[in-house]
Amino acid sequence: MQENTQDGTPGSWFRVTIPCGIQYDRTWLMNSIQSHCSVPFTPVDFHFMHNGARFFVQEASTASALMDVSYKICDEESRKVCIPVFVSPSAAPYSVRDKLKPEEMEQLKLTLSKRFDVSQQALDLRRLRVDPDLLGHDIDIILNRRNCMAATLQIIKKNFPELLSLNLSSNKLYQLDGLSDIIQMAPTVKILNLSKNELKSAWELSKMQGLKLEELWLQGNPLCGTFPDRSTYVRAIRECFPKLLRLDGQELPSPVTVDVDTPCVLKPCKGSYFGCDELKSLVLQFLQQYYLIHDCGDRQGLVGAYHEQACFSLTIPFHPEDPAPSSLCKYFKDSRNMKKLTDPHLRVQLLKHTNRVIVHTLCVLPKTQHDFISFVVDTWSQTETMLCFSVSGVFKEVEGSSQDCVRAFTRTFIATPASYSSLCIVNDELFVRDASPSETQSVFSIPVPTPTSSSMHTLSQEQQDIMQASSTPPEVNL
Amino acid sequence: MAMPMDFKTYVDQACKAAEEFVNIYYETMDKRRQALTRLYLDKATLIWNGNVVTGLEALANFFDTLPSSEFQVNMLDCQPVHEQATQAQTTVLVVTSGTVKFDGNRQHYFNQSFLLTAQSTPNNTVWKIASDCFRFQDWASS
Repeated sequence: MQENTQDGTPGSWFRVTIPCGIQYDRTWLMNSIQSHCSVPFTPVDFHFMHNGARFFVQEASTASALMDVSYKICDEESRKVCIPVFVSPSAAPYSVRDKLKPEEMEQLKLTLSKRFDVSQQALDLRRLRVDPDLLGHDIDIILNRRNCMAATLQIIKKNFPELLSLNLSSNKLYQLDGLSDIIQMAPTVKILNLSKNELKSAWELSKMQGLKLEELWLQGNPLCGTFPDRSTYVRAIRECFPKLLRLDGQELPSPVTVDVDTPCVLKPCKGSYFGCDELKSLVLQFLQQYYLIHDCGDRQGLVGAYHEQACFSLTIPFHPEDPAPSSLCKYFKDSRNMKKLTDPHLRVQLLKHTNRVIVHTLCVLPKTQHDFISFVVDTWSQTETMLCFSVSGVFKEVEGSSQDCVRAFTRTFIATPASYSSLCIVNDELFVRDASPSETQSVFSIPVPTPTSSSMHTLSQEQQDIMQASSTPPEVNL
Repeated sequence: MAMPMDFKTYVDQACKAAEEFVNIYYETMDKRRQALTRLYLDKATLIWNGNVVTGLEALANFFDTLPSSEFQVNMLDCQPVHEQATQAQTTVLVVTSGTVKFDGNRQHYFNQSFLLTAQSTPNNTVWKIASDCFRFQDWASS
């Protein structure tokens, strides 16, 4: 055995093995060993091999202190079983032996920084070995090797401490020993992509136990073919990562929780709500007529749809990191989003008051084509004098620089039956945002009918009766 | 009966009510869920992703079974509702949008609208929800 040297050069290395170590929670095991050990130690290159757990320590004094821990820790479950800890001299662990040189570490850091997306807190390490930067500097980063993975994790810990998403796809990984330290080095990772590697068994994943993953990609690994069906596969993966929400791009059904106090299941979402069929036809007819004029006619024709003293306001979302989104610029100056707009004077100004002012504002907004089929309507309040409903859907802008841009909207109308029969808008609030990719794709799948009307229909006596009958007493004479 | 007010005063009152209310509402929803029904009128109705929930008891059950939440609001707007519709019962329309993460589920963008009605006592005005409409923006793929 080599002696420790006084001048600080590294002493000898020792290998510590806990047979059957794999059955214990790693954190509990290491904490138990540490608490029984008279000397504090730093485990290096912790990994599981077969059923055992193994790590390395330096210094003979540490080694002998650890030897004394053997059979002192008792199995949590069965107090009678004491855990052996075997210590023997060994060569330096891989991560130390083949440690990257400082200049290699520096280059690796630069290369990783190029692959880091700060807005998503995502690091893309696909095919890292053949990165032109690394090849150009003659640095061989094989992530399968302990030293390379350790170096990478070290850089992540130091430079990307809030990493959310890590992509290790296509790196020929056939074991995940090197990721045993991921909990210490990158504990914030919630999205992990291990697809297209050489992992042969789901057991490899247990080496990362404790990582709170929400999304995992494993497809393209030999291990995927070892399960008889998808549900067995999902169950096995979920044993390692109980909080997993998505596997291989597919949402997993919410896990059933036994604890009644912490529900995780949401009520299923349903489509439009109208309360009754009569109200449904009333509201749909109103919307059809409104948007016909709005899209195809002169919007001046809408002035009769609004009460003289009606109010209208428009908002777009406010994201502090992108306060003036260029895509929604045509709506920006009218946006009355109170999360951004704090001036009380402006808040009054931007609330458009009276039907003429409202229609003037509408005439200036971009010309649109609404996708009626996309509409979902919630009729959420009604009394004998008021009907309140919200419409969500998508529309296309049909002229100017933003032609063909697809927007999504939610518009809340409060209407009252006015004398001489019209359904009369008293409040109108419009929220416009950019459409999501799936909303954009599904738009206008069915052709839009051509317009025939240019002014708002008056409600028939029957429709007025419906409005009264659907509401709560007392009745009011119109 | 309230004194007739000019338009600006109505708007200012609505904005003040809306801002204060929304802060309290989402804080209560996230951190003191069991107290949430205190913000609703007895006969209030909620339409939640197309599901109807009516009355305080049903609302209490609903909020009980809803997983714990983390709301982030990035849009707020409000309007005083015209008295012709409300029969002189002072009402404010509040519209919000943002993101929500329910425990055990992925994050969703949401849109929500409330009708708040004023319950006036000699000393102050308490606003309560008469109706509530909530929907995920991606409800169809949930």
